[in-house]
Amino acid sequence: MIRAIRMRVMGGTSRFFRIAIALSSLWLVLFALAPNALLLLVAFFTRSDEHFVTPVLTLDNYIRLFDPTFLTILWDSARLACIATVICLLIGYPFAYIMANVRPNRRPFLLFLVIIPFWTSSLIRTYALILILKSKGLISELLTMLGITSGPVSFMYSDFAVFIGLTYTMLPFMILPLYASIEKLDRRLLDAAKDLGASSWRAFVHVTVPLTMPGIIAGAMLVFLPALSMFYVPEMLGGAKSMLLGNFIKNQFLVARDWPLGAAASSVMTIALILMVLVYSRVSRRGVRNREGGRGSGGALRSEGGMR
Amino acid sequence: MKHRLFRDRLFPRFLAAIAVTLFACAGFALPAAAKDAASEEKVLNIFCWSEYLPQEALDKFTEETGIKVVYSTYESNEAMYAKLKLLDGKGYDIVVPSTYFIEQMRHDGLLQPLDKTRLTNLAKLDPTLLNQEYDPDNAYSIPYMWGATGLMVNKKFADPATVASWSDLMRPEFKGRVILSDDVRDVVGFALKRDGHSMNSRNEAEIKKAFDFLNELKPAVRVFDVTAAKQAFISEEVVIGIIWNGDAYIAIEENPDLAFVYPREGAVLWIDSFAIPKGAEHKDNAHKFIDFMLRPENAALVVEEFKYSTPNLEVRPYLPKELQESRLIFPTAEDLKNSEVTMGVGEAKAVYERLWESLKAGK
Repeated sequence: MIRAIRMRVMGGTSRFFRIAIALSSLWLVLFALAPNALLLLVAFFTRSDEHFVTPVLTLDNYIRLFDPTFLTILWDSARLACIATVICLLIGYPFAYIMANVRPNRRPFLLFLVIIPFWTSSLIRTYALILILKSKGLISELLTMLGITSGPVSFMYSDFAVFIGLTYTMLPFMILPLYASIEKLDRRLLDAAKDLGASSWRAFVHVTVPLTMPGIIAGAMLVFLPALSMFYVPEMLGGAKSMLLGNFIKNQFLVARDWPLGAAASSVMTIALILMVLVYSRVSRRGVRNREGGRGSGGALRSEGGMR
Repeated sequence: MKHRLFRDRLFPRFLAAIAVTLFACAGFALPAAAKDAASEEKVLNIFCWSEYLPQEALDKFTEETGIKVVYSTYESNEAMYAKLKLLDGKGYDIVVPSTYFIEQMRHDGLLQPLDKTRLTNLAKLDPTLLNQEYDPDNAYSIPYMWGATGLMVNKKFADPATVASWSDLMRPEFKGRVILSDDVRDVVGFALKRDGHSMNSRNEAEIKKAFDFLNELKPAVRVFDVTAAKQAFISEEVVIGIIWNGDAYIAIEENPDLAFVYPREGAVLWIDSFAIPKGAEHKDNAHKFIDFMLRPENAALVVEEFKYSTPNLEVRPYLPKELQESRLIFPTAEDLKNSEVTMGVGEAKAVYERLWESLKAGK
């Protein structure tokens, strides 16, 4: 596909494509590359009370990150983000699977339902969750009305509330890539597996899951990384009882005014991102290789490989 | 053919439209920046806490002077400070920092001295709130609103008469139902007061001892968030904890089981003041605005809307009776005994911050 576009660009009226590419590159350099490069640079500078930072190079900021406090913060954040990712996957996979298997004319509607929450700021949706979860809130009143509980119950300020908040906010980011990869799945492979005597479960584990692995990993990345730094959900729903990576970074920049340490801490996230992208590209490449080589030469398989 | 049409005819137009939009934006931004301050335009850029100036007062000001008010908000002193520091004190005509931030900003040269001859209503302010350590002679700041961070308790769970000290937060019946602020100085401040020290202590041993108490208290804490305190108390998510007096007033209106207590070791006081940043482009208008808000009838609008204490001694007659008589809004000298205003702590700030991180990260 890309090659085809490039061919077209080279010959004939390529001017506007070049401008378009130049504009978007400029945009990315100005607003993505430059700030990140600056941040990385600041991580090696020294803190200053007068001007936030002075350009004296040091590794001290990274050494300070090995402080047990920061390691605890990192561990807590990673644990929270991990659990949220697993919950999103457990809910998102069946959802995406069903969505990819309903009649094609119904799919746009289901996709629409997944996308609707993006029309409202996630901060406001988190406030709405408070109204639902709090004592004398929606759930509490409902339970009392049904006679299940005698007094008001609260789900607020607990890990449970945090996971509800994180799952609710991040779920679409899991569903969308999963849906994309499940939809592409060639059903004939499942038929073949069944013909060869595999149970539905076996076919799912050995055919569906490996073939949709790129979607699983893409979804997990899209959920895990934002969840790692999403500080306002644990703050609002969890009662801010533990400090997370996002809070730590925010604190260094605003309260402690230690920009180099904040920059070093946030570069940890950038490194995590790069590692995950590497894993992703490796897994998806292996996926293609498996399909093209190992499993043989069915026409269906080749058409999959040919997409790339 | 469709693709052709898009590529050759529509796409260039699309790009042109983007370019025009960008230039138009730049065009709007430039004249505003380049305008000289000689003849001051009728605009006032206020940078203030959210929900901190009554709309009624702003409208009245515009009506009276023809000056248009542009109100931008911040959520913390730190955020306001960082922004002004990066902008080198330009872009805003009025800011409303708290005490120790006035001190810091004055020190950094981010504020300009006020022209007191233009503040005709200055004499109406409470002298005990003027000439404080953070700004001697109020050269840079005029108090706008002040208040106390004290204790609130739900009568259904404990008799408010038995709650008098910060130590009462530790009582076993409150376990898991305590709310604290998420601000390091608020929280350590009361822990220091509890030990009988200054809440602005720079003594590392004293600060450590305060944190020992907080580490012990932490398992009893349900929430760290003073801005959510009002709601958490009303819905009885928490039964005791830290709250600002104005929020306490509103919470009690909603839930009469609640009661506010000025702890005997002293409350944590704050004062927020008007100040004019160094690079303000409309300082005439800023002075006019400050003087306008110092008028008792306008200061009364602030009390009515936000229920915080006013530094203005002549406001009372303009208020409804229940506000006039409220000890939450007009605390007595006895209520404020031992209370203290939050001040800068210099180098010790790093100690506070480090211990705070470990308190939060700990289990």
